[in-house]
Amino acid sequence: MKIIIDRQEVDVNPGATILEAARKAGINIPTLCYHEAFGGQGMCRMCMVEVKTGNATRIVASCIYPVYEEIEVVTSTPAIEKIRRNIVSLLYRSAPESELMQKLYKEYKCEENRLSINHNERCILCRLCVKACEEMGRSAISAIFRGTEKRVATPFDEASEVCIGCAACAKMCPTKAIEVSETNNERIIWNKTFTLVKCESCGQPFATREELDYIISRTEMEGLDGKLCEGCRKKNMAVQISKLVE
Amino acid sequence: MQQTIDLDSRMILVCCGTGCLANGSMEIYNALQQKLAATNVQVKTYTKPTGCNGWCEKGPLVKIMPDDITYVQVTEADVTEIIEKTLRTGEIISRLLYRDPKTKKRVRSHHEIDFYKKQHKIALRNIGEIDPASIEDYVSRDGYRAIAKVLREMTPSQVIAEVVKSGLRGRGGGGFPTGLKWRACASAASFPRYVICNGDEGDPGAFMDRSIMEGDPHTVIEGMIICAYAIGASAGYIYVRDEYSLAVKNLGIAINNARSWGYLGQNIQGSTLSFDIEIVRGGGAFVCGEETALIASIEGNVGETRDKYVFPTEKGLWGQPTIINNVETWANIPVIINEGAQEFASMGTEGSKGTKVFSLVGKVINTGLVEVPMGTTLREIIYDIGGGIPGGRDFKAVQTGGPSGGCIPENMLDLEVDFNSLTRAGSMMGSGGLIVMDDRTCMVEIARYYVNFLAGESCGKCAPCREGIRALLEILNGICKGTGREEDLILLQEIGETMQTASLCALGRTAPNPVLSTMRYFKDEYIAHIKDARCPAGVCRDLTEFYISEELCTGCGLCIKNCPVDAVSGEKKAVHVINQEKCIRCGECINHCKFNAVKVR
Repeated sequence: MKIIIDRQEVDVNPGATILEAARKAGINIPTLCYHEAFGGQGMCRMCMVEVKTGNATRIVASCIYPVYEEIEVVTSTPAIEKIRRNIVSLLYRSAPESELMQKLYKEYKCEENRLSINHNERCILCRLCVKACEEMGRSAISAIFRGTEKRVATPFDEASEVCIGCAACAKMCPTKAIEVSETNNERIIWNKTFTLVKCESCGQPFATREELDYIISRTEMEGLDGKLCEGCRKKNMAVQISKLVE
Repeated sequence: MQQTIDLDSRMILVCCGTGCLANGSMEIYNALQQKLAATNVQVKTYTKPTGCNGWCEKGPLVKIMPDDITYVQVTEADVTEIIEKTLRTGEIISRLLYRDPKTKKRVRSHHEIDFYKKQHKIALRNIGEIDPASIEDYVSRDGYRAIAKVLREMTPSQVIAEVVKSGLRGRGGGGFPTGLKWRACASAASFPRYVICNGDEGDPGAFMDRSIMEGDPHTVIEGMIICAYAIGASAGYIYVRDEYSLAVKNLGIAINNARSWGYLGQNIQGSTLSFDIEIVRGGGAFVCGEETALIASIEGNVGETRDKYVFPTEKGLWGQPTIINNVETWANIPVIINEGAQEFASMGTEGSKGTKVFSLVGKVINTGLVEVPMGTTLREIIYDIGGGIPGGRDFKAVQTGGPSGGCIPENMLDLEVDFNSLTRAGSMMGSGGLIVMDDRTCMVEIARYYVNFLAGESCGKCAPCREGIRALLEILNGICKGTGREEDLILLQEIGETMQTASLCALGRTAPNPVLSTMRYFKDEYIAHIKDARCPAGVCRDLTEFYISEELCTGCGLCIKNCPVDAVSGEKKAVHVINQEKCIRCGECINHCKFNAVKVR
C-alpha cells in the first residue's frame, strides 16, 4: 500500500512501521533507541512524527506505529522539533561527555538551563545493549528498578553467570557507556573477568573462551572451531576455495 | 439457600473493612459472638463481619437491623452494654449514636446522616450489608441474578448493546466507554480471549477498589462472567496488589464458592459458557495499574507500559484479545443488566453516566468512601457529605485523580464532577481520589510531593517521562529550598508540555499535571517562593518564618506547650514571642493556636 511521508508517496507493507517505510524511502527520522536488527522500542521518543488520518492529527512514535491505513505523515513540525530538542537536552544531562549527545545538543540548538549535569554518567537508557544481549540469546543484562532509578545492570550488579563477555552490548552502545577494559589476555566487562583466546594464525586475541564455546554450540558453520580469528578464518577459507578451483 | 431474617431476630453488622479492623472491629465482632453465646438473649441474633461502610472517620461501625440503629466509634468495652440494653430491651445507647455537629442532636440511623443521605450506592450497594465470605448473602441481594438473566434471555451482542446503552465509562481513570471496548474485543479476529480485572489501585489515598474487593467480591466476579459471555472469553484474571491481603483472601473465598455453586468453571449454570478466574497478586507497583504494564506483569515480565496503537482488545494478554476493566467498573455491570441500561443512564451527566465512588480524604471532617451520581458538585461532596474542613481552617484546593491529577481551587468548588469537567479543569477523574487541602498546604510542596512519588513509580521506560520527572523534581526541590529562579516557571511549563505530548503511556502524559495545574491556579505561590523567598502557607522550612500577632495572642500558652524545641516564650496571659534562632519551622504552634495568632511572614 501507499502512504504519504513528507509529501512523498512511499510504498509500505501493511503492518510495517512508519519509520521502516521512511527509511526505505530515504527519509530520515532521528532515533536513539532504534536499531534495524531489533525493531522499534518506542522509548526515546525522538522519532515522533505527525500522523493525519482523515481529519484527525496526532503525534506518534514512528518506530512502533504500524501502518494499516492510508495516512499522511509529516516528520518535522515546530511542535515535533520542540519535543526532540527537549528530549535531547534532558538526555544530554545523563551523557554530557558522549560525542553523540554533544553533537545532538548542538544540532538541536539546546540551551543551557539550570538543571544539573552529571559528568560521571554516560547512559541514556536506549537499552540497545539489553536488546543486543537478548538477541545473543543470553539476557545477562536488563533494565532494573523503575522511575528515575532505572538503569542497566546484571542481576544484583554481580558477575553474571550467563554473560559470555562478547561485548556486543558495548559495541552497540551509542554513547560508549559500557566499560570494557582489555589487556592482552583479559577482558573485564560487567564485573566479570574473561580470558581472551588468541588466534592460532596471527596471534591476536579475538574472543573470550565462553563466547567461542557458545557460538560453536549454536552454529553449524563449517570450519568454525574457534581457533582462528574472523580475518584469518576468512583468509583460510579463501585459500581452500582457491585450491578447490585449481 | 437464601437466608431470611426473621422479624423477631436481629442482625448485627460489624464493619470489618480495613479501616475499622485497624480500630479493633474484629475484637468487637469476636466479643459479640462470645457474649451472645453466653447470654440468654431471647431474640435470635446473627452477627456478621461486613465490608467497609465507607465512613472510616467514625469507625468501627456497628449496625443493628432491622431496628436500623447505627453505632459509631464502638469499642470492645461497649459490647456488653449493646447486648444488655439494645438487644435485650430495645433501648438505644445514645452515647454511641452519631451526633450531628450542626443540630447537636444524636442520630439513630445512618440513613438520616448527611454523610449517607446524599449518596447513591450502586458499586457499593452491598458493602456493609453482607458478609463478603458468604455467597448466600450476595445471592440474597440479587446476586448472580444478572448472569442468570444473561444466560437465559440475552445474546452476547444484546449484552454488549445494553452496556453501550448504559453509557458506562471505565472507572479506573481512562474513562473509555466500556461497551465500546467490549464490542471491539468481540469483533477481534482470534481466540482465546481474556477478561482481566484491574485491582492494582495505586493512587495515594484511594481505596474504593480495595473496599469493593474486600466487601463485595462476588459483584466483581459476576461482572467478569457477564463480560466473558459477551466477548467469548474462556479465562479471567483478577490482578490485585499483594498488600491488599484481605481483598486477596475474600476474592479467593468468593471464587471457590462461585465454583462450587456453578458460576465458574465448565458449563456455567448448565449453559455452553465455560469460564474461570485466577487471582494474580501484584507487587504493588503504581505503574502496573496502567493496563499494558499490568498485562506485562501477568505475563511475568517487568511492569512496563507499551504504546497502544494496537489496543489490548485486539492484542492484549499473550497477544490475544483482552478486556481489562477496573474493579468499580465490574461492580456496575450486574446492576446495569438487572435494572436496565436506561435506568443506569438516567443518572449522571450527558457524557458520564451513573455514579462514581470517591475516596474523600485529607483535610475534611468525614473522611471515607462516598458514592454519588456523576455531576454532583465538589462543594456538595466536600461540605455536605464530607462535613467541611476541620479545625475551622479555610479550604484551599482539592486534588483529584491521584498523583497524575491536578489541584482545583476554591472558585471552582461548584464544578459538577464528571470525566469531562475534570479534564477541562486541568485535572482528571483518575480512579476517584479526592484529597482535600486546607490553607496550611503549600501548593508548590504538593506538586513536589507528587512528582517525587512519580519519580519512584514511573516505569522509567520512555525518556520524556523518566527524564522529565527527574528535571521537574530538581526544579521543584530548588523552589522549595529557596533557590528558585523566575525562568524556572518557563522551564517547568516547557518540560511539562513535552511530557504531555511525547510520553509513551497515559501515566507519563499526565505526570506533569500536579505541576501544571498548581502553576495554573496558584501561580502567586510559586512567585512568592521565587521572588520573595517566602512560603505563604508556612510549609517550606527554608522559606518560612512564624511570628505571633500582638493583637491576637491571648497568652494561653498552647504554643509554648506544643513547641518541640522550646522556641516560644512568654508569661501567661501576656503576648508570646518566637525565638527565630531556635525555631525549626515545624508549624506546631500555628496548628495548635486557637486564636489564629500565629502568622506566617
